[in-house]
Amino acid sequence: MKDPYLKKLTDIPMEDYLVGGHVACQGCSASLGLRLTLKVLGKDTIVINGSGCMTLLPVYPTTPLRVPWIHLAIENSGAAGTALYYALRRKNIDANILAYAGDGATYDIGLQSLSGAAEKNIDMIYICYNNQSFGNTGHQRASSTPRASSTSTTPLGKVEVAKDMPAIMAAHRIPYVATACPSYPIDFLNKVKKAAEVKGMAFIDLLVPCPVGWGFDPAEGINIGRLAVRTGLWKLYEITDGKVSISYIPKKRKRVSEYLSAQGRFSHLSEGDIRRIQAEVDQEWDELEERGYGYEIMV
Amino acid sequence: MNTRRMITGNGAAAWGARLARVEIIPNFPITPQTAIIEEISLWIASGKMDADFLPMESEHSVQSALAAASSVGTRVFSATSSQGLMLMTEMMFVTSGLRLPVIMVNVSRGLSAPITLWSDHNDVLVQRDSGWLQIFCSNNQEVLDSVVMGYKIAENSNVLLPMLINLDGFTLSATREPVEIPGQDEIDDFLPAYNPKHTILDPKEPMSMGGVVFNEYMYFRSQQRMAMCNSKDIITAVCAEWEKMTGRGWGRGLVEPYCLEDSERVLVICGSESAILKYTVDKLRAKGEKVGMLRLRTMRPFPCEEIVDALSDVEKIGVIDQDISPGSGGIIATEVKACLGRGVTSFIAGLGGRRIGAEKYEKIFGRLGRDVEEWIF
Ligand SMILES: Cc1ncc(C[n+]2csc(CCOP(=O)(O)OP(=O)(O)O)c2C)c(N)n1
Ligand code: SF4
Repeated sequence: MKDPYLKKLTDIPMEDYLVGGHVACQGCSASLGLRLTLKVLGKDTIVINGSGCMTLLPVYPTTPLRVPWIHLAIENSGAAGTALYYALRRKNIDANILAYAGDGATYDIGLQSLSGAAEKNIDMIYICYNNQSFGNTGHQRASSTPRASSTSTTPLGKVEVAKDMPAIMAAHRIPYVATACPSYPIDFLNKVKKAAEVKGMAFIDLLVPCPVGWGFDPAEGINIGRLAVRTGLWKLYEITDGKVSISYIPKKRKRVSEYLSAQGRFSHLSEGDIRRIQAEVDQEWDELEERGYGYEIMV
Repeated sequence: MNTRRMITGNGAAAWGARLARVEIIPNFPITPQTAIIEEISLWIASGKMDADFLPMESEHSVQSALAAASSVGTRVFSATSSQGLMLMTEMMFVTSGLRLPVIMVNVSRGLSAPITLWSDHNDVLVQRDSGWLQIFCSNNQEVLDSVVMGYKIAENSNVLLPMLINLDGFTLSATREPVEIPGQDEIDDFLPAYNPKHTILDPKEPMSMGGVVFNEYMYFRSQQRMAMCNSKDIITAVCAEWEKMTGRGWGRGLVEPYCLEDSERVLVICGSESAILKYTVDKLRAKGEKVGMLRLRTMRPFPCEEIVDALSDVEKIGVIDQDISPGSGGIIATEVKACLGRGVTSFIAGLGGRRIGAEKYEKIFGRLGRDVEEWIF
């Protein structure tokens, strides 16, 4: 196997293209995710943003971004990427196209536009920073919200399970799909690197713990992300050529209660609810183990 | 070298885009516009046109793609109609707010529900507050000319606003008329390449576009309004230059007066219906009646001074609206009244392509002089 691009934290490039002084909340993993991504993609990158928390990074007349940035609306990052790809070719500008949009903008209102770009296999990197709600408008329910989570519009907890967005993207036959979390920066950035190197569209679903929406202390953001992965609730994996492969297998999975009880959004759950969630996760991972942590999802 | 061909309004729109050497054409089909993008796709496939044809997943995506591609500094074009234009609404304001000189053709068609395929002006007039220049064409030649001139106007550094060019569905879009097609060399001399300085997405010069403003919002809107005001002179100048080159100046670009000198009764109109109205004016004048017509060519900027100049001495004025704002009235009549500071007779006619015809125009001329709204069925 090829050596990974990054092996340890100190391999991460020092240069920053998202600098300090912006208005994202303390402990925001979404802005951290962008900052890390730009370190890998470098200065020859154009960012497309769909309306959401990150839209408040450039506030006139200042901007914390040292790379070109365009925000048009919430639901059209895919369409903008398509146009940018062709326009940049015409202008002989060689740059990475990075779409950085929230889960509401991706799973819900922008799905059509994203699907259009994926069908055309546009050479762009689409990162969905996933705080599992419509964050900027006050954390309302989205199709990315996990079952049982309360939000400002599901006070009793969401009934439905979250959409399987990576599988939807893989079904477009794009060359690279992955999930990640900034709490695992080496894994995440190696995936960003692969996304940049691949010809065609790459999609990364990035879990970004959100202190405000999820109800935890801003200092705990990285920990919460780790717990999401170590409990097995957020799986880190890649899908290439229709093949899923788990990129991180928690050695001894932590109990989901540790993750759930650390967040306000799950505080209404009964012990029975938590047991049910634990049983579901256990079953999923048992199945994964049986399949050798890798399987085909498409024929 | 100029050639003269029998082409449809849709063909004329496509020719305008081709001559302007547009580079990116995001598109989505809708009757009666589709023939425009089909023609362009054929030219690109056969190597007659060097452009990227981007079939998008919706008109919302089309307008988004227009804005994104224009932000990189490419010259962009698209066409739509009716429901398609409605779906673009959110992005129409974004394109204009970002001051991107996008040119788009609308082939007007009444809005659903109920469904109609035929022309009226409610689709384009819904967009009148979106900060786009709006041109209403009266024939196929004007369509071609307006598209080419459109880029020169919109890309002018004192304007930098998008432009919507309207042609009436079927009456123009599907009807063949003789159209003079200027030579490519001539157009290349007339229309320089687009090289924007104000917005450009290029890592060599990083800019953040479409960000958040707080208290400054009103300044941006005021600049947009100033650009719209500036555009009047630019439209007039570009039309004058075009006239020198082709012999066609389309009035002074803003309004087309017809037999106004001694008119006692005048109808204000826009679009292709003006041809039938002209015919009616000729007929009535042959009988000694002092009637005339004023065609509004630009809807935005609204040619207020030109209307006052042309009509201040006219006793009886009527306005034909092929649109309706329920609860208010004819949209154009309302604006004309505001310019003149007095009442006009407002006629709502031709909705969903309902035939008006010379006989009805004759009757309408007989009903001027009252400040009322009348529906002509
Ligand atoms: C067409 C449209 N509808 C609604 C909104 C309001 N809105 C702004 S941000 C936002 C939330 C987006 O959620 P997500 O994509 O998850 O990003 P986050 O806010 O969580 O960063 C919404 C609904 C909008 N900007 N545009
Ligand atoms: S609400 Fe959450 S995602 Fe949004 S800026 Fe704050 S911490 Fe980040």
